Amino acid sequence: MNQFVLSHNSALELRLFPHILEIGVIKNPAIRLNGFPRTVEKGLKIYYILEGKFEWCICKHPFILYPGDAALVLPGSELGNPANVLEIGSFSWIHIQVGMNEREELVLGSWSSLSDSENQAMSKVLKMDHPPILQKFSDAGVLLKNIQTELTNQEIGYQARVNHLLDEIFIQVARQYTRISNPGRDFPKTFMKLEQELRRNLSHQWTVEEMASLVGLGTTLFNEKVKSYSGFSPLSYLINIRISEAIKMLKRPDINLTDIALDTGFYSSQHFSTTFKKLTGYTPSEFRKNHL
Amino acid sequence: MECIITIELGTNAVRIYAFDLNGNSIGSLKGYCPTFHSEPDYSEQDPDQIFITMLNVLKNLLEDIIHPKRYKVLCICFCSAMHSVLAVDRKGTPLGNVITWADNRANWEAAELKNSTLGKKIYTATGTPLHPMSPLTKIAWIKNNENEKFRQVNKFLSLKTYILQQLTGEYMIDYSIASATGLLNIHKIAWEPDSLKFAGITSEMLPELVPVFTQAGKLKKAYQVSLGLSSDTKILVGSSDGCMAILGDGVNGNGMATITVEDSGAFRVMGDKVLQDEKQRIFNYLLTENHYVSGGPTNSGGVIFEWFTRQFGDFKNPFDLENSMIELINEGMKISPGSDGLIFLPYLLGERAPIWNANARGVFFGMNIKHEKAHFVRATIEGILFEIYSIGKTIEEHRTINNISINGSFGNLPFFTQMVADIFNKPVRFSRNYHSVSFGSYLLSATEMGIYKSIDDAVKSVVLTDQTTPDKLYHKMYVKYFKIFERLTSKLANEFADIASLQQS
Repeated sequence: MNQFVLSHNSALELRLFPHILEIGVIKNPAIRLNGFPRTVEKGLKIYYILEGKFEWCICKHPFILYPGDAALVLPGSELGNPANVLEIGSFSWIHIQVGMNEREELVLGSWSSLSDSENQAMSKVLKMDHPPILQKFSDAGVLLKNIQTELTNQEIGYQARVNHLLDEIFIQVARQYTRISNPGRDFPKTFMKLEQELRRNLSHQWTVEEMASLVGLGTTLFNEKVKSYSGFSPLSYLINIRISEAIKMLKRPDINLTDIALDTGFYSSQHFSTTFKKLTGYTPSEFRKNHL
Repeated sequence: MECIITIELGTNAVRIYAFDLNGNSIGSLKGYCPTFHSEPDYSEQDPDQIFITMLNVLKNLLEDIIHPKRYKVLCICFCSAMHSVLAVDRKGTPLGNVITWADNRANWEAAELKNSTLGKKIYTATGTPLHPMSPLTKIAWIKNNENEKFRQVNKFLSLKTYILQQLTGEYMIDYSIASATGLLNIHKIAWEPDSLKFAGITSEMLPELVPVFTQAGKLKKAYQVSLGLSSDTKILVGSSDGCMAILGDGVNGNGMATITVEDSGAFRVMGDKVLQDEKQRIFNYLLTENHYVSGGPTNSGGVIFEWFTRQFGDFKNPFDLENSMIELINEGMKISPGSDGLIFLPYLLGERAPIWNANARGVFFGMNIKHEKAHFVRATIEGILFEIYSIGKTIEEHRTINNISINGSFGNLPFFTQMVADIFNKPVRFSRNYHSVSFGSYLLSATEMGIYKSIDDAVKSVVLTDQTTPDKLYHKMYVKYFKIFERLTSKLANEFADIASLQQS
């Protein structure tokens, strides 16, 4: 593929795609000093290595990238060569504008056809603590190339196609991450990671889709596995954790009931009270009174 | 119609069974509770999560099966894993999580005791091996390392004590759980002053000591209503999972022993005398005034074969451990006993009985160029069973054993039962789809209710339906390999210590 760069403030091709900040391919025949300095940008970037060997620093950690590797650089993360050098070789990249909501989740924007809950699940996976490099991830290379071709040829339906391909990149990256972090052998360990994630974000309105995506399973298989392993459906299991955390908080007189309800992930103190009573026989305030 | 419900607060799960008065199972449900490891040596569980899970499972069982069939629940009998410790303050609020049997933080306290005359005295008095599993050493650890918390502690409870207290308001600990704490004098059935002193506590800081048949007060009104149970439902304190496994298998007196293989495992006998082992290798727990359960626990049960499967199984479907294990076992079955000279020491998690060495590690020994994956499968299983055999031989120094029963999720696999019979050269009894621990709790309740005259009477009623007989030829082969297994284990003591210290650095 030939070298090219499209940038949103100059390229007519990107007129219909304000969310694509930049897309390009570079072929670099000789080392260029100051050609790849470390920078932090607001958007999300995906790189795919075509030729050569690159030593980059992502979030202050050194990585070596070979052809076939992809790098995911989240908004606000630093990327560049430690000596600011652009090394010999070739890579393609895309730089996408993503939003951030009040829960600090990445929001793709109205161009994406992902539903809100899928978008949340995706954000969870992308923001989990894992290395930014996806090795031998040729799907990313193919998708980037297809987007470039669509933008160049502008055949009928290309606006929809480009946005579909962008969604596809996000989906493939998220799936690849879940596959790597859950090799499908150790369910107890995987379930424990999920439990810890649920406890860390107990106030979040978890959906089964989100939980399943963290474990790297489709929702049907996920439901089945959780049920046979834990004896409960994923949402009932989550309620067990919520109520047991609530019990601990109720035993401390300094937190009010509404705060406990919201902190443990109930919609309202009413919802909290009904669920709590159904399981324990006491309303939260009765339970607290008995304990003081 | 009337029924008895048994609740087992196990290591990984709460298991609830319902039995009719004749001991037929009406239904069962389980709920998983995780163990947290915030430090490598720590194993903790959330007491409130266990309580809520227990309530939820119980409610589901009652609403799905018991109430629709109009059973009246006469009795709920509890049983739990041994060695747990939960510190609570003046109001009964937990100060942190429950520390479970698998927790090794009190390594230093246990080692200190083990090498002292005080330790020897305490072991003889309490029957609990001096090991970080015992609440005695755990409480001493809290005293030595968490001074602030130790000063706030009003009581040290077992997990079961906490759960019962939530339901009825009473703080009680039964003989069998108490006898696994290292704090109870099993000869006098009273708290042991030497132990209390070492732990830095008084007997007022422990729950009320009661026989296993004791009613732990009445279910609180709110739970009667939410569970749909009447106020006269008996809540029995019950016993420990270890004691119930042997009761449920109908093992009592001379000649009989039982093996449990779950994630971990144990070899146990029951009788009216304590087995005094000079080398302190055996536990002696108290079920009633004249029933002692003696034996040895192993860390290297099914968890070791699960580890092997995770590394070398096929996993054609994600997380399908069960089928991957069955496929491996089928491969291993094709290899002859002794795995053509491949021997496995299964000590991936250190070992308890009979060597009591936390530094022990796994070894494959005798590999040659002809060994294939299937040999490793078979050797792994043989290694797990050789370890249990070595506990059995220790017990046989004190008591004759003619036949064995086997239970537990791994113990009940056909391949395992036959191998146990061959290795021990004794007939092995078992029942498939049978949960010994829960049935033991049923027998305990039925005895309390007068259905059986006594524990001895109840035990005699147990019929395990299946039996395998040993193959003498195979036994001879196993014995040859076992001798090497035993020698390797003892010869490698120094190397175990060295490699463990490298691994921990």
